[in-house]
Amino acid sequence: MHTRGPLLRIRYAFHHSRLLQLGVLTGFWFLGQAAAEALRLPVPGGVVGMAAVLALLLSGRMSVFSVRRGAQTLLAEMLLFFVPAVMALLDHSEFIGVLGLKLLVVILTGTLCVMASTALTVDLCARWTSRHVAR
Amino acid sequence: MSLVNLGFDSPIVLALFWPAATIGFYLCARKIYARWRRWYLSPLAVTPALLLALAILLGARYVDYMRGAHWIMLALGPATVAFAIPIYEKRETIRRNWRVLLLGVLIGSSTAMVSAWAMASVLGLSGDLRLSLLPRSMSTPFAMEVSGDIGGAPDLTAIFVMVTGIFGAALGELMLTLLPLRSSLARGALLGMGAHGAGAAKAREIGQEEGSIAGLVMVLAGLLNVLAAPILAYGLKGGF
Repeated sequence: MHTRGPLLRIRYAFHHSRLLQLGVLTGFWFLGQAAAEALRLPVPGGVVGMAAVLALLLSGRMSVFSVRRGAQTLLAEMLLFFVPAVMALLDHSEFIGVLGLKLLVVILTGTLCVMASTALTVDLCARWTSRHVAR
Repeated sequence: MSLVNLGFDSPIVLALFWPAATIGFYLCARKIYARWRRWYLSPLAVTPALLLALAILLGARYVDYMRGAHWIMLALGPATVAFAIPIYEKRETIRRNWRVLLLGVLIGSSTAMVSAWAMASVLGLSGDLRLSLLPRSMSTPFAMEVSGDIGGAPDLTAIFVMVTGIFGAALGELMLTLLPLRSSLARGALLGMGAHGAGAAKAREIGQEEGSIAGLVMVLAGLLNVLAAPILAYGLKGGF
């Protein structure tokens, strides 16, 4: 923790620069992409990168402060990154009308069912374990 | 008079125009949402609505838009990596409750597929659309992977995933007021399972713990479904 000189300066830079941290996270995504491709994993590169960062954090090889600010920025602006996918609607004018309404009904009712079943399962299990398992 | 005469077709303008419009509209939408917190004013609904209106006005197609703005979507990769941090910071909660969360994800994923299949059949949607609807509760990269595996159309699935996210984030907020959920665990799982990344963003508005649980549930759901996809594909092709 108390190394002096250039190492300390590098550490300081990493802990304080949002831009550097965004670069680090992007680098992990890039490596994840490459690894997923090379090993033919059916998992997106971002998830491989996430697993790598998590492993480094849990093993104590990486300080959470060297990626925390960058991560907060990315997560806070995540909705922006979803926008381009919606633009695919430009190529699907057939969805304007009855077909679109039907699809919307499928998605809305399905999502309601998913949310209710997931939340009730987790809540009931959490209540059950907190009652039966002493912590 | 028209924009074409102003050099709108030049590659530099095209490369800069759509990303600038996307980010500009997004910043406006975020300001609007900060001022009036209504579900239909979510940046995920307002930004695409404005952009779609502009694109239709200018006669732009999806490829024209994506030529300049595709890198905005690529940022979802680093954003996925970023979920490692909230998961790490809430590792104690997760370590204590991983069984419960896994069960929730299993039940949620099954419900997603069964409900999509049943509703699509009832409404008489074509087989292609029905298959593309099955993986819509996952985050985009997973959903497109699964969609391809089971014989759906990945680009259609991407649209359904987005619609799920936009309405799911809003529906989720409503559900939270209706369901008597005691734990932050259940609130996070509801949003992460029901509305993937958009739900996780909403969960972060509600609380730190909800946000990290939603992120974890989203990733878990994606992983589980990608692993189950080959079995599912076998079943859908009449193997069972």
